Amino acid sequence: MATKNAEAYEAVSKKYEWGFATDIEQDFAPKGLSEDTVRYISAKKGEPEWMLEWRLKAYRRWLTMDSPDWAKLSIPPIDYQDAYYYAEPRQKKTIASLDELDPEIRRTYEKLGIPIAEQEVLAGVEGARKVAVDAVFDSVSVATTFRAELKAAGVIFLSISEAIREYPDLVRKWLGKVVPQHDNYFATLNSAVFSDGTFVYVPKGVRCPMELSTYFRINAENTGQFERTLIVADEGAYVSYLEGCTAPMRDENQLHAAVVELVALDDAEIKYSTVQNWYPGDENGVGGIYNFVTKRALCQGRNSKVSWTQVETGSAVTWKYPSCVLAGENSVGEFYSVAVTNNRQQADTGTKMIHLGKGSRSTIVSKGISAGRSDNTYRGLVRVAPTAEGVRNFTQCDSLLLGDQCGAHTVPYIEVKNPSAQIEHEATTSKISEDQLFYAMSRGLDQEAAVALIVNGFAREVLQQLPMEFAVEAQKLLGISLEGSVG
Amino acid sequence: MTAVLDLPSTREEAWRWADLGALSAAAALAPVAAPAHEFLDLPGARLLFVDGVLDEARSQLHRVELTDLPTSDHALGRRAAGKGWRLSLDARAAADPVQVVHVATGRENHLPAHIHLGDDAVAQVVETFVGAGWQNRHLSVTLGKGARLMRSVRLLQPAGFVSLREEADVGAAASLVAVFLGAGGQGSRIDARLTLGDGAFGDYGGALLTAGEQRQECAVRVNHAQPDGSSRQLWRAVAADRSQASLAAAVEVARHAQKTDGEQSLRGLLLHRTATVNLKPELEIFADDVKCAHGATVGELDARALFYMESRGIPRARAQALLTRAFVNDALERIGDETTRAAFEADADAWLEASLSRRERSVGSTAPRAVEILPGAEPTQLGPLGAAEGEG
Repeated sequence: MATKNAEAYEAVSKKYEWGFATDIEQDFAPKGLSEDTVRYISAKKGEPEWMLEWRLKAYRRWLTMDSPDWAKLSIPPIDYQDAYYYAEPRQKKTIASLDELDPEIRRTYEKLGIPIAEQEVLAGVEGARKVAVDAVFDSVSVATTFRAELKAAGVIFLSISEAIREYPDLVRKWLGKVVPQHDNYFATLNSAVFSDGTFVYVPKGVRCPMELSTYFRINAENTGQFERTLIVADEGAYVSYLEGCTAPMRDENQLHAAVVELVALDDAEIKYSTVQNWYPGDENGVGGIYNFVTKRALCQGRNSKVSWTQVETGSAVTWKYPSCVLAGENSVGEFYSVAVTNNRQQADTGTKMIHLGKGSRSTIVSKGISAGRSDNTYRGLVRVAPTAEGVRNFTQCDSLLLGDQCGAHTVPYIEVKNPSAQIEHEATTSKISEDQLFYAMSRGLDQEAAVALIVNGFAREVLQQLPMEFAVEAQKLLGISLEGSVG
Repeated sequence: MTAVLDLPSTREEAWRWADLGALSAAAALAPVAAPAHEFLDLPGARLLFVDGVLDEARSQLHRVELTDLPTSDHALGRRAAGKGWRLSLDARAAADPVQVVHVATGRENHLPAHIHLGDDAVAQVVETFVGAGWQNRHLSVTLGKGARLMRSVRLLQPAGFVSLREEADVGAAASLVAVFLGAGGQGSRIDARLTLGDGAFGDYGGALLTAGEQRQECAVRVNHAQPDGSSRQLWRAVAADRSQASLAAAVEVARHAQKTDGEQSLRGLLLHRTATVNLKPELEIFADDVKCAHGATVGELDARALFYMESRGIPRARAQALLTRAFVNDALERIGDETTRAAFEADADAWLEASLSRRERSVGSTAPRAVEILPGAEPTQLGPLGAAEGEG
């Protein structure tokens, strides 16, 4: 109890601590978005012709599309011409080893607590698992660790621009297959201007020897980050992938529009965990990241499995629906989510489970916590195709309201075309009861610590799905995000 | 027909499952002879509208009057403008039931209505839709403090479309209960918005039974504008063949509407693998001391219940029929008046009987004859519509 107490105190006594900016020289693409910007990015990456054509096709399509307005979000019109679409830390030469990395960038990641060096163990814990990191700084990947060890296992873990150069056939085969170019407004924009991101390929029967991780950092002012992640798990493969993100505190809103595609073949399993902690803006809603993300997994093979776990605490606006297309027989989709909103944050997040395969199953556990003057919406779709016999789905959406100025909303869609499906949906909305608070406080916790403790308990089902390294960070985050929301 | 074109598109969230293309098709139906209609054996006012026009010879107005009514700004509601019927009761008044039968003989007709109950007044309204064509209605309801209104609406058109737009303002401690049964062959959209006052009670629910290529949907939003209100939304959908039944029910709780108690239960039953049930139990909550629960399930009949009944010697077809009937009756049992409830249950039974016997035939088993499947549903109870509907 004593240690918990200390942790809880520590948790609530901090503000957004990743809000510093790093002062380094950077190369920018000219401000604004045009075909020239797209060509600039492509040329900068030294991409093959097909990739440039692919981008231009997406850009032309994007011009004809409208920004979606169905989410329960109020966003002022975004001026897409008032942003930089490419920012790169200036480098004199290509670096031969990690030691040659710009010390400023290295310090940034050290401050964030991200192990860029290939440390044997994390945080001094004996026997902890190793984590390979791909660090993406604004528009480019600056470092990828543990390459040799992964290569020995046959795992390809590269920034996506390197992968386009080194494994063009593999990338071409899968890029845009799960999230088509014209899927939605933001995915199309991403297809045109994506700068970097991560590519992972785990070959047949390989269990990836360590956790893979990408750490996204927006640093430059007025810059949008558009990363693209593609993970392919071949037959019988397993990979666990973590993603973290932070940004400096700035008064303007910055755009982040990412696309993540996952493919799981027969008997493969992908576990994808996100701790999203973009700068959420201040308590009056000034600044913060607009986070528009399209994440989708294709469970193509028999018995394939994809598990999404997300802890969403940052961003001024979150628009994100990690989805599973369960095409394979007996494939499994899981979605565990904790979304915390405070102050003026708005989150519209949830999942889509598209059941196409016989005997496919899905589980959705969503915990929404709203505080301050924020709005938190769960929006989910469970669809069962006529051919999908014996589908099972269980959905649970719980909302917790802290304070009387916030909103919690639940918008589940259920579309069933096969009678053998068993679909269950449950939802509750509650607040922290006086009894719970009184109990915790009578044991010596102050009010904020008590709230942090109860909130962590509320979100426990999701937090325990996270890999250990992330679970600790996520728990801390929950407390910080809710700071100042009670009393 | 051009009027139909400016309806919202299905890209708008509130109209996602709407079948607005069916409106023009319904309106294009050729005129048919006015079908037989039956008033229930209840005292009180009887209104017969043929193509939206009152048939005075066969109506008894009692306290109901015909008058010009204000228009709505809703996409469907605003079409039903002009002259309509109005029931207005003073404080503490109690009226005999009002029965309204809407007969369509093809094409389209639009009719507004208004119900106003003074403080503590009590009323009951039963509406029936028959015939063919597109019938569009707009109803506005205002209930004074402590007033009570019970509505029962059945859609029994063999073809065409019925669209209802209802806007209700339920005063403090007042109660509005509305039960809908869609057991005809028509398409439908039941589009309603309730605003609940301090301590008010709102209950909107019903059963939508679809077969063939039919599409029926409800889109009901209950807005808790004041504290201490409670609402119930209990909907059941049974979909056969290639039909689609959609249930969208929303509860909104305003910032200061503390102690709200909202409950939603949406359940769908699929009789064939080509049918579709869509559910959307939506919560929009801005107050922190509320109790809102929703449950939603879709599937087929409980295999264990079926097995249990079969093990007790009940033939499979009949066990299915009994369970389906129980499933539907959940939604109908809240009709307070016994005569009305019995009539609604008989309509639902007639539909189930027609649909289940058709299913047995299509499966090719040695199903008992239709009348034997449901012991309670004698053909005499079905009326002319039940028979007509069975052929569709």
